Parts: sequence; structure tokens; C-alpha cells
Amino acid sequence: MAVTEWWKNTSCGGRRSAFMVFFLVLLLHCIAILLFTSGFLLTRTELPHHSQCSDVSQSPCGLPDRSPQGDHDGVTCWTKPAVDRLVIIVLDALRFDFVAPSTFFEEKKPWMDKLQVLHKFASESESAARIFKAIADPPTTSLQRLKGLTTGGLPTFIDIGNSFGAPAIVEDNLIHQLVQNGKRVVMMGDDTWTQLFPHHFNKSYPYPSFNVKDLDTVDNGCISHLIPTLYDDDWDVLIAHFLGVDHAGHIFGVDSVQMIEKLQQYNEQLEKVVEVLQSQAGRGSLHENTLLLVMGDHGQTINGDHGGGSAEEVDTSIFAMSLRKPSITVPPEFDASSLHLQLDFAATVSALLGIPFPYGSIGRVNPMLYALVAGTWNLEDYDMSSSQSQLKLEEWMHNYAKVLCINSWQVKKYIDVYTASSVIGFSVDDLKHVADMYAQAVNWSDSLHDVASCKDEACRTSFDALKKQIDLYSNFLASVAELARTKFTEFNLRMMGIGFGILLISIFIHVLVIKRVDDITVFPSRETSSVSFGLIVSCTIVTARACSFLSNSYILEEGKMTNFLLASIGMLGLRHSIMTKKMIFEATAFVFLISILRFTIELGLSKPQEVLDFHSWMYVADLMPIVPLIILACLLYKSIACSSCNRLLKFVITGSIFSYILLALHWTLESNLSSMTPLIFDGIKGNFIPRAIYIMGIAQLLSLAVLQFFEEVEISKWGEMAVMKAVAILSVWSSTLMILSGKQGPWIALASVVGGWLISRLKGLEQDNKNATTGLLALYSSPVTQWSLLASCLFFCSGHWFDEFTIIPQAILLTIETYGFSHILPTLGLPILVAYKYSSNEAKQTRQSLIQLFQVYLIYGLIMAVTTTFTVLCVIIQKRHLMVWGLFAPKFVFDVVGLILTDALICVSSVFYFIQT
Amino acid sequence: MKNKKKGHNIKDITRGDAVLIEVPVVVLLYSLFRKDMNQSSYLKAVARGLLGLPVGAVVHALGAIVLGAPVGTQYFLRTLNWSLLMSTFTFVPAASVYGSSWVDWHRIFAQTKPIGSIDYMICLPAHGAVIGGWFGAWPMPLDWERTWQEWPICVTYGAIIGYLVGMLASFCSAVFRVSSQHVKGD
Repeated sequence: MAVTEWWKNTSCGGRRSAFMVFFLVLLLHCIAILLFTSGFLLTRTELPHHSQCSDVSQSPCGLPDRSPQGDHDGVTCWTKPAVDRLVIIVLDALRFDFVAPSTFFEEKKPWMDKLQVLHKFASESESAARIFKAIADPPTTSLQRLKGLTTGGLPTFIDIGNSFGAPAIVEDNLIHQLVQNGKRVVMMGDDTWTQLFPHHFNKSYPYPSFNVKDLDTVDNGCISHLIPTLYDDDWDVLIAHFLGVDHAGHIFGVDSVQMIEKLQQYNEQLEKVVEVLQSQAGRGSLHENTLLLVMGDHGQTINGDHGGGSAEEVDTSIFAMSLRKPSITVPPEFDASSLHLQLDFAATVSALLGIPFPYGSIGRVNPMLYALVAGTWNLEDYDMSSSQSQLKLEEWMHNYAKVLCINSWQVKKYIDVYTASSVIGFSVDDLKHVADMYAQAVNWSDSLHDVASCKDEACRTSFDALKKQIDLYSNFLASVAELARTKFTEFNLRMMGIGFGILLISIFIHVLVIKRVDDITVFPSRETSSVSFGLIVSCTIVTARACSFLSNSYILEEGKMTNFLLASIGMLGLRHSIMTKKMIFEATAFVFLISILRFTIELGLSKPQEVLDFHSWMYVADLMPIVPLIILACLLYKSIACSSCNRLLKFVITGSIFSYILLALHWTLESNLSSMTPLIFDGIKGNFIPRAIYIMGIAQLLSLAVLQFFEEVEISKWGEMAVMKAVAILSVWSSTLMILSGKQGPWIALASVVGGWLISRLKGLEQDNKNATTGLLALYSSPVTQWSLLASCLFFCSGHWFDEFTIIPQAILLTIETYGFSHILPTLGLPILVAYKYSSNEAKQTRQSLIQLFQVYLIYGLIMAVTTTFTVLCVIIQKRHLMVWGLFAPKFVFDVVGLILTDALICVSSVFYFIQT
Repeated sequence: MKNKKKGHNIKDITRGDAVLIEVPVVVLLYSLFRKDMNQSSYLKAVARGLLGLPVGAVVHALGAIVLGAPVGTQYFLRTLNWSLLMSTFTFVPAASVYGSSWVDWHRIFAQTKPIGSIDYMICLPAHGAVIGGWFGAWPMPLDWERTWQEWPICVTYGAIIGYLVGMLASFCSAVFRVSSQHVKGD
């Protein structure tokens, strides 16, 4: 109520009061979202402890066996080492169907069966190689996955504490353990590794992974160092991280020539690697006991996106090949357990190398991978007779049970310590359940020790007992992993509730202020109807859109959904214009524009396909974006030519036109035509022009800010001035946006200009009709709804999707690129809606339109807030949903950032456009 | 099971059988009530109705595509059948009754100001069919993977329900008007 009281006393539409209101809203939203996020995006506490070799003496599993040969160094740490050296080749974004044979799938796609060398070795009966399907845990971004792989834990959506700024992993991890235990690690490829582990590698050959358009630098660097390093003996673990497939996916999609070329290149390289390894695999040679792992860190969709939790993104693969021959085959019961290999990776590799498991690892030693490699002990007395292999199997199971014992003990210890040291631990019931399972397994193992000395007839029972033992441990570990999956992101419901409550209050205040403004502007003397058909329709549409966020299906189809609603409102507008027999052309054009947007959204979901074969077509395709650029530049020129406003503004707009010219030049140079252009331009190829455009953009923004301080606007000229300012600031943003969003940029910019113009025109339709009888709210609700829906459509037109949105933007440019067309431009451009065709010179009219602008911004902010509130509500309801991290959380973060950004931009606009009356 | 069967039936409807039955009924029936009774013959009204069928189908198909109906050769026949059905619900009666009288069309479809019983009989079911179809599109994106979620089955469902509701409403209004006139007459 205080707000309304205060409101009465201030002149509305004035700069200060407008700013105060918007700032209050921004503040409320910030507080609400902060509270909610702190309850929702909780991360697990990272424990500072590190595993030590000596810890194992506390375990109930007894000390590890001494090496039977005695020719090893004799010291075993937690487990008996099964391999001496390890080669890990990480192929970024390796889909499962890149690796698995095409017979595995219903339909053979062009990108399948390209890594033939893996098939060859996996199918050869005498080689110890297998292809596993590995399922990654979302979020499926490289950084999070590498962290998950090396710590054996479940990195949460935001790892607060270390992901901001320096991403180095502080938690105990595989690489730390390797270094701690005297293993020498060599790394080559993606420089993310050196960011995560800055001081761990003996040697490293990092290559920058930032430039997504660069398919080859990282890979070629890897290739040039990989083979020579294989001949060296100064390392124990080699990590090579190839990025080409990931980048090819991002740029060209999976179904592209570039992708297939990359896969073929990898095939060649892997063949060479295996060749070298095999040539050195003899007794006493370098790679006598080496394990080769070829693995993906996550998958990718057909469009090359990843980050979420869809099957295509989480399904990846591990190819493992031991240079020794396997002596046993594992009983098929263990086959099904190869699913969560990524979580199990740290534990399995630690067990194989005989180093302590990372402290926070909750994976289990994978039986398949362990059998493949660790079944290769005692190769000398290899015999095919069945009793022998039975004995071997039993020996293997004995070993495996022992490893699992240590594994379970380590996980149990971690769970206990975690519960003790973390504020939000596991629930008592769950802990008790897990503890029971562990006690059961340990008791069984005690009883097993009594009959450990197996005589002939006892062997059978011992075999079964061992199997039971392994099952018990496996069940325990599986339930811990399950528990961790559901619980490591324990939501703080109270915080979430408070945040949501504040959000609701902010909406209430918003509505109150809107109502207030509406009441002020309506002259009491005239007969008024504050409710109009347009208002009802807008409310319905906004509510329908907001409610649709409660279901994951609608979020997935949001592009089409928004378009459907926009088309509905557009068609109603067309009907209205036919009814009043005015502006039929504009309404039809608007519907036509929507249908174009609709097809763009559908096409935008697939990346640009290969360029047509015809050369002439190629040139046309390359130069097509320049056409809308020219149109935009002409529009800008027209706008400065026919107005008599501030010289500085004109100067800024001219700067934008110059930027457009630079942009056109840049694209021409990048295109296939570049061979024809004169050599003079070679000097400015590459990054020069984009940088120049960014710098110019910043300079223009600064000059606009300066203008703000020095300029005094006459009240009567406000309308024209506001339009010019809007045009200026939009043109400044547009050049940067277009270079960021690539060649589709000008088209989308043109679409937004046309769309904005049409909406402004169509607003006139209602204004003429009902100016006298309706309030501002009824008048502006429909255009503003259209405006916001159009903005949302433009987001999807530019080929965006929530999945590819990374939570901590690497650079501010990415944020601009993501939010540019959907938030920045529409918010800054809203004054055009009000001031378009503004001709009156009366001060009173200006006052009136200032209030209108204030109201428009209020409605726009309200629509954004309602939408976001429903997203938040959806997250509350669906917080245990399967897709919460894959879909809802990215959507939540996107909307929340969008809301704050919009609020902040509205604040800026209130300073920029409003004048003190 | 039940759903599947229903879906199948509806598919039959969209295949065009319904249109085949519906069109003659609608055309013949509404042509009886042609507005310019004195100027044009019954046959002329029937011909107008038949002419209105493809025109209305094109308008509906375009509208559906703008709203997001799938485009492609495999959808062509379905969209065609659907739009013919919609045209039968909306355009054909109006074409039979009003012919090319723009004023009447404008009054019924743009301003929604029906005057007589016939106006109600045309206006309400047509709007009902369109609004029903609009709501019928909502279940389409859901991931239930039912056969009836495919284009245009549930939209057809919605349109038919809307049409029937509109029919009922117009019938009620007609009865109401007649009775109120009786009262006035008394």
C-alpha cells in the first residue's frame, strides 16, 4: 500500500519515479531469485580429504596380497596393480553410434561404422578388447564430465566454489592420486585439462579449445605428439584429448562431410596407435602390460549440441584394449553392469593401476573392464582345460571380491564423513538402509573367510558364495550411487518457498502499479471500459504460455508453441483489421512474417547443410546475408536523413552503417569469393574486423551515455527524440549481434525490424478505434504481448536451444549472442511501440506518452515475470523429475537470467528514454 | 486399446469419408435457406456451396500452416482432408446461403453479429469448429505417443466437438428466439 501512496505523490512518467519503480522490481526479483536459487541449485560439499595408501589398513578387507611373482616392486597400495601403463584417448562428444557397429541400430546412418579399427579389435576373439556403452551423468559439458570422470563423483549443475574463475579441481581426484603415487602423467590436446590440473602433469601439450570453428588445431597437435610419445618410456599414464568431433558437431552437425572426415582421421590415428602399441607389446618391451582406453566424455545430438540429459547426449562409449591376452571370460551375469561406466571410471582405473581410489569417488570397480584387464595375471600357466579355467575364474572372482571390498569400504567411509561434515547430508533412513547393506556384505565376507581354503568339493559352494559376496557388494555400491544421484542435489524447500513467495509479491506489486497507472490516465468524466477484447486475449495467451511450462513436452517444443500463440494472436489481429476494414495489408504481412518465422524455427533446429555443388550457387549463398544488411543500412540512412535531431545521435547511427559495411566486407572475405578479392584485404582477414566492430560498438555506447549527460530534451520534442534514440541504440547493438550470430543474423535482424514496425502500425489500429474509451492497459496489452512473443520466437529462430546454453558463460559475448535478439533488442526497442508516428508537439501529449511508455514497460516486465514465475513453479513441481537437470534447470537458469537482464535493461531504459517532466 | 480404436476411426474420418457424406448433406440442406431466395435458384446455391468448398479448404490449410501444421508430401493428403472438413463446417454453409455477398460474410465472420436463426446456424457452429480445432491442437506436443496425437486427428476431434456444441447452441438460441417471439406475439 505504501507504494501506491508514494505513487500518488510523484509525477508518473518522470525519470526518477520510473527508475525507482523499475529498480524496486529489479531488486525484488533479484532477492527472490537469489533465495530460490540458493535452495534449488545446491551443490554437494566438496571434502578436502585425500585418500592415502596407508588408509587401507583400516579396512576390513585385510592387506592386499603380496605380488606372487615378487618381481614387481613388491609394494602394493590398495589393490594389486593389473596394468603398468595406461593410454587414455578422449574423443570429445563421441556418440555411442560412432563406435558401436551399425548392426546394433535399426538404421544405418552415414556417420556409423567409421571407426572400423575399434570394431576389428573388439570382434577379434584372441584380442582383449571390448566396446562398452557408457552413460554419462548430466550436465554433459566437457568440464563437468572431466571432473566427474576424475573425481568419481557427480558434479552438480553449478559447482559453486571453484567453477568461477579458476576451475582447478581441489577435490581428491584420479590425477592427484596418480601423481601422489609416483605415476608420471603426460597430457596432450584440450587445454581444459591443464585448467583443471594446473600442476599435475609431467609434460603437457595443451592447445586452446576456445575457438569452436577450428576443427583441427587441437587434433593436429595431439597427433603430432601422440605417436612419438608412445615410444618414450618416461610416462605411466598418457592422456590425449581430441576435440574435432565436438567442434564439427557444433558447427556442421553430425550428419556432415566434416564429421565423417574427422571420424576417418581418428580411425587412421587409432590404427597407428594400436600398431605401435602392439609392436612394443612383447615381453619386456615398453607396452608389455599397457591398457588402451578410447572413450568419449559425453555424446551429442544430431545437431551437435550437448549439455543436457537426453539419451543422445549421455550415451557415449568406452573402448578398452589390453595388450595382454585375457585368460578368462566373465560370467554373463556381470554383463548388464556396464552402464554407468563414467561414474565408475575413477574407481576402476585406480583399481587397475593399484593406486588409492579418489576420496569422493562413489563409483564401483566395473566388473567387465576389470575382468578384461585384470584377468590377465599369470599368463604363463594359461590353459584351455575347463577345470583350469574354472579355477581361474574363481581366482578372478576372489580378486574381484577383494577389490569390491576395498571399494565398498572407501565409499562407505566417504558417505559417513560426508554426513558428518556437511550441513545437508543424507537422510537418516537412507543412511541406515545403506549401512545395513554394507554390514550384510561385510558379515558375509567374514563367513566367507572361514571357508576360504577351498578343497575339491567345497569349491562349488565357494564359487556360489563368492558370487553372492560380489552381488552383495555390488548392490551396496549401486544403492549408494542411486542415493547420491537423488540426494546430492538436496533442495532446500524453505528457501525455495520464500523465493517463490517474493516472486509472487513482486508480481502483485507489478499488477498494482499497472492498475494504478491505468486509473490515473483514464479520465473519470468519460465513459470508460477498462477491459477490452485485446486484454482478455493477451491474458489468455500469456497464461496459456506460462502454464505450458509446467510440462516438459511443451518446454521441448517451446519454439513451436510460442509461434502457435503468436500466430493465433496475429490471426485475431487480422480478423480485427478485416472487421474495421483498416490496415489489412499490415495484418496480413504480420501473419505472413509469422509463418516465415515458423519455418525458420523448424529449419533452425538443423544446422546448415552442405553447400550445394554448383559454384554459382555457393557464391549466392555466401552473399545472401549482405542483402538484408543493405536493406537495414538503407533504413538507418533514411531514419537519419529525414529527421532533425541531435548531431551526435546521427553520428552514432552513421557509425553503425559503417559497421554494417565492415560486416559485409568481412563476410565477403570469409566466403569462397575471397580468392578473387585483391590482396590488399588479406591484412584484415581473420579477427581484425570483428574486433573493430566490437570496439566501435563500445565506443558508440559510451558516446550515447555521454550524450545522456549533456543533452537537454525539450519536452515537446520527446517523441521524435525517443524514436531516434531507440534507433541509435538498436543499431549499435545490432552490428555486434549480427557478427556474433553469423550469417543468419541480418535476416533475423530484418525480421525483428519488420515485426516491430508491423506491431507498432497495428497498434495504431486499436488506438484509432478506441482511444477515447479504453484505458492504457487495454490498449497496450495486445501489442506488448505480441512484442514479447515475437522476441521469444526470434530466440528460437536464431537456432538456439536451452541445452547448449552454458551456465557460466565463458565470455560476455556468449551472453550477448544468446540474449541479443530475444531480450536486449526488444526491451531497448519498446519506445518505438509508443512513440511511433508521434507527431503532436504539445507538451501535454508528451506527458501522456511518457506515461504510456511507463505502462508499456510495466506490462512487458509483468509478462516476463509471469513467465519466469511459472518456470520457477515448474521447477518446484518437477524437482524430482528425470529431466530436471537435463531440461528444467537449463530452462530455469535461462529464464531467470533473462528476467534479471530484462529488468536491468528496463532500468537502463528508464534512465535513457524518460525525461524529467 | 480403446484409444487406439478411436484413433483408427478418426483416421477414417480424416481420410475423407466424412467429407463425402457431410458435404452433400450440408450443401443440400443450407441451400434451402439461401438468402437471396428470389434472385437465385436452388441449383445455383448448391453450386455456390460446392465452389465454396475448395476456397474454404485453401483458407483453412493456410491458417493451419501458419499455426504450425506440419508440411510435407506425407502430410499433404491429411491436411487436404482436414481442410475440406473444416471448409464444410464453415465456408460451405455460408457460401450456400450468402453467396458472394461480402456484407453478410463480413457481418458473420468478422463482426460476429448474427441476426436471424439462419445466421446463428452458420455463425455459431463455424466459430465453434475453429475454436474447437484450436484447442484440439494443444495435446499434440505431449509425449504420450498415442496415435490420436498425430496431425490432424486431435484437431479434427476438437473441431467436431466444437461444431456440435455450436450446433446445439444455435439450436437453443433458435428455440429461445422462437419462444420469445411467441411471447411477444401473445
